[in-house]
Amino acid sequence: MADLSVDFGKFTLKNPVMTASGTFGYGMEYAEFYDLSRLGAVVVKGIRSIPSHGNPTPRIAEVTGGMLNAIGLQGPGIDKFLHDDHYLPGLKKTGATVIVNMWGVTIEEYAEVAARLDAESDGITALEVNISCPNVKAGGAAFGTDLKLAHEVVSAVRNATKLPIITKLSPNVGNIADFARAVEDAGSDAVSLINTLSAMAIDINTRKPKIANKFAGFSGPAVKPVAVRMVYEVSRAVKIPVIGMGGISTGADAVEFLLAGADAVAVGTANFVDPFAPLKVIHFINEYLDKNGFKSVAELKNALIV
Amino acid sequence: MKAFIVSNEQLQNDYYRIRFDAREMAAKSGPGQFVHVRIDERNDNILRRPFSIHNAENGMITVVYKVVGTGTERLREKLPGDSCDLIGPVGVGFSSPEDDVIPVAVCGGYGAAATFMLTQRTKQPGVLLLGARSAADIILTKEYEERGFEVKIATDDGSLGHKGRVTELIDRLLAEKPGKKFFFYGCGPHPMLMALAKILKAKNLDGELSIDHFMCCGVGACFGCVVKIAAPETADGWVYKRSCVDGPVFKLADVYAE
Ligand SMILES: Cc1cc2nc3c(=O)[nH]c(=O)nc-3n(C[C@H](O)[C@H](O)[C@H](O)COP(=O)(O)OP(=O)(O)OC[C@H]3O[C@@H](n4cnc5c(N)ncnc54)[C@H](O)[C@@H]3O)c2cc1C
Ligand SMILES: Cc1cc2nc3c(=O)[nH]c(=O)nc-3n(C[C@H](O)[C@H](O)[C@H](O)COP(=O)(O)O)c2cc1C
Ligand code: FES
Repeated sequence: MADLSVDFGKFTLKNPVMTASGTFGYGMEYAEFYDLSRLGAVVVKGIRSIPSHGNPTPRIAEVTGGMLNAIGLQGPGIDKFLHDDHYLPGLKKTGATVIVNMWGVTIEEYAEVAARLDAESDGITALEVNISCPNVKAGGAAFGTDLKLAHEVVSAVRNATKLPIITKLSPNVGNIADFARAVEDAGSDAVSLINTLSAMAIDINTRKPKIANKFAGFSGPAVKPVAVRMVYEVSRAVKIPVIGMGGISTGADAVEFLLAGADAVAVGTANFVDPFAPLKVIHFINEYLDKNGFKSVAELKNALIV
Repeated sequence: MKAFIVSNEQLQNDYYRIRFDAREMAAKSGPGQFVHVRIDERNDNILRRPFSIHNAENGMITVVYKVVGTGTERLREKLPGDSCDLIGPVGVGFSSPEDDVIPVAVCGGYGAAATFMLTQRTKQPGVLLLGARSAADIILTKEYEERGFEVKIATDDGSLGHKGRVTELIDRLLAEKPGKKFFFYGCGPHPMLMALAKILKAKNLDGELSIDHFMCCGVGACFGCVVKIAAPETADGWVYKRSCVDGPVFKLADVYAE
């Protein structure tokens, strides 16, 4: 059996497969399906300082090869997240490795949430700083699509916490490698990509947008080639580890990302289709490594033949 | 969970009934709960489709569905011996009627599928008030009658039963059975449910409504299926709850009418 562990410098994951934020709830929703400690990490849905309603409905639509969503980061707020058994306390009990996805509408809020998580960091392995949600006006796209703001917000989080930070990058930019370099410079310990692609769908019978928010984030199998290209570019632009995601539904999809230069991967939309998808991905990677004579998953990072 | 199809037959027009061999799931299922079905493994229409559990007898999950689009079209083409992947039973279902209460199911279209198992959980013979656009969408009435339910029908075009809305049948029912205790179970299109909630509240009647929305994960993880639920203690007076796991059945008192 090959070595599946991934070294992130400040922390190690037992295998390279995590769940993508927002597609796995707060973890507990999937605890009845299998033992969550088998995953590389559970990345929870985005948390901010206060509870938020999220966007009006309809929030989701199916499109060919994927889906659109504009959930708008509905969530319980940091207090409930830290202390209610449905959230972090419950998830900790499952033995899962927890990465907390976080956001705010101002730079100060990002720093505040990071500081709160830092103060109660027991059971938290890392923070994922979401600067790339296309579905909230402030806090999402605003920070993730402006190089200067991206640098500022990551610096502020860096100053607020000693926890390792992963910055989640937006694909809705001209050159994603520039953003990866900016957040690396600001002190990010890793980057994850891609968040959803800004998109739209229209119901021709009602002549209304299918999503109340009008614009929504596109994810699922159809976005994979875009994501693989971006992971390839980013992994060559920065020295910090890269977490690749976007359309992974099978182990073969995940291996593509690892060959493109990702150190680890996340399974997103595929969880909605098959709750067991992340476990199947782990199983396939293990077999692929053995079959092809690789001793560790890390070897794949430099195995692409170009 | 992989479940084999035992039968898949036409009920009438666009309506079909499919039976899955799913013993463990059937044993846990109640009225108002649903199964979340991965019809087949395709990469174009990826999402699961939710269907109310119509019946769960003899180790089988029965679903009654209307063919409305690509997913239900593909479900129709399934043959006995084929399989689908099922998650379920999902959600909070209807409560069982108290012994001295007459259960009244108020349904629109395929909503009649969701309340069917109440027929097995009641002491008093119940009533089904069923509404639809026209006679072609009035389903399952014989099944209800066989289980001792009285069925009253309303259609928009008057092709069967009362010409008008299903909620207009409530007054007549109350007049016919004076002094009886009723409990209402609603399942149907959103505007119908909102009208029903208003009428029940105005008449001081109690009940439960199945309020759902397009679903994605079906397990409470995506927050795609939320509906507004009354929360008088909050500034807005409502909160978004997940219809898949916090519902789809909500108490009348919790229904938020805008
Ligand atoms: C809790 C719940 C229980 C349900 N129970 C039943 C049932 O017992 N029998 C039954 O026939 N149907 C039921 N439905 C509706 C059923 O899920 C949809 O008809 C089905 O998903 C349509 O899939 P499709 O691919 O054929 O249609 P699509 O091609 O996806 O869409 C065709 C049409 O159906 C509408 N539609 C799509 N998805 C939904 C949805 N989730 N809810 C309502 N309308 C939708 C679309 O707006 C469109 O107009 C239920 C829905 C929910 C949420
Ligand atoms: C319903 C839904 C909700 C999401 N919520 C979040 C979120 O809260 N924070 C975040 O960083 N990304 C969020 N994402 C983006 C995913 O984490 C992931 O980056 C994206 O979906 C691409 O991967 P996929 O194609 O495998 O789904 C969400 C995606 C979906 C589909
Ligand atoms: S369908 Fe995902 S939370 Fe209800």
